[in-house]
Amino acid sequence: MMVPVRCFTCGNVVGEHWEEFNARADEGDEDPQEVLDELGVDRYCCRRMLVSHTDLVDVVSPYQ
Amino acid sequence: MATDYDVEFVEREDREARFLVRGVTPAFANGIRRAMVADVPTMAVDTVRFIENSSVMFDEQIALRLGLVPLTTPPEGEFVEDDTVTLSIDVQGPATAYSGDLVSSDDLVQPADENVPIIQLKDDQRLEAEADAIMNHGKNHAKHQGGVAVGYRHLQRVEVVGDLDEFEEQESQIVRGVVEDDGELVPTSEFDHDLANRYPGKEVRLEDVPEAFVFHVETDGSFTVDELVTRAADSIIDRATELEDAVQL
Amino acid sequence: MELRVTESSETELSIEIAGEDHTFMNVLKGALLESDDVTAATYDMNPEQSGGQTDPILTIKTEPGVDPLDALEEGAITVREKTTAFRDAFEAAA
Repeated sequence: MMVPVRCFTCGNVVGEHWEEFNARADEGDEDPQEVLDELGVDRYCCRRMLVSHTDLVDVVSPYQ
Repeated sequence: MATDYDVEFVEREDREARFLVRGVTPAFANGIRRAMVADVPTMAVDTVRFIENSSVMFDEQIALRLGLVPLTTPPEGEFVEDDTVTLSIDVQGPATAYSGDLVSSDDLVQPADENVPIIQLKDDQRLEAEADAIMNHGKNHAKHQGGVAVGYRHLQRVEVVGDLDEFEEQESQIVRGVVEDDGELVPTSEFDHDLANRYPGKEVRLEDVPEAFVFHVETDGSFTVDELVTRAADSIIDRATELEDAVQL
Repeated sequence: MELRVTESSETELSIEIAGEDHTFMNVLKGALLESDDVTAATYDMNPEQSGGQTDPILTIKTEPGVDPLDALEEGAITVREKTTAFRDAFEAAA
């Protein structure tokens, strides 16, 4: 639904970087690897949090 | 008694640092590490009163998200365990509610990160809530954990033992952490964690330096690394003093 | 920190230290073992799920003529001094 606030594994705050990551890598045409490096999301546990996330608010909101 | 400690920073930022400590026993190094993770209290939202929540998420889900937002923790002595600070949030859709929208009743306790999305609100949806933040330990809930990915490794000493044979192909030798080369501390990230890059054509040997640990400390933004380490040390000092007093009785 | 002596003799002491965990106990045990007056020191602790004794029990054996309670006090002082020294060294570097 919404991005997790923290990484499940290590507890690092990843929600902070979601909007920039989404705009640049998912919707933009930049390389996700480079974007994550620039954002300072170094560990692979935190990286998978952003890479594998999809916002679902738009999908569920009609059924409220 | 080995109380000759020597601390040296290798990398240092507000929220992340790497430092070398010489002269500590493994038991002591682990005690400090554990204290940083579980025994340094931080502020975090614990109870939320919803006035209106017409968003797509349940109250409980939003409360969890609010709890995980790191809050700056006031200096030692300002707060004791179970003191509360109230933060309020009021966002009307269409908009996204961010952690930065939390309005705190105390200047010392503020969201450490302002861009964490809490919930995306559509037309006519609204989130209005009051949240009570309390001071507690990492032992009780991960949201009170000030240190993130705190760990240590032995410092490793590199020694060049000779040259490789002329036609021998060099194999990569991966090492992570910090190496000591002739008394100089080099983070392995400088040579892509591969000794073959740093010493082409050489045969090198690695060995652990006894009683020398390189700590890697990161915080969630509740306080600086310095603060976290000194508070962890203080928590052990407090317990030792308490035991001393208890035994004397 | 509640202390409760479970066994005691001239040179041996078992004491329950309520409310502590590995963080402090292991450091304390390490400090006790560094002392020449202490011949053996260990602690035992069980997980929550065991349903039994979950507070650590520290056992100390000392050389003849040394009161284990004094050795424990000595150990606590060592831990305090070591940690203070570490703190000072860290602040000097910071």
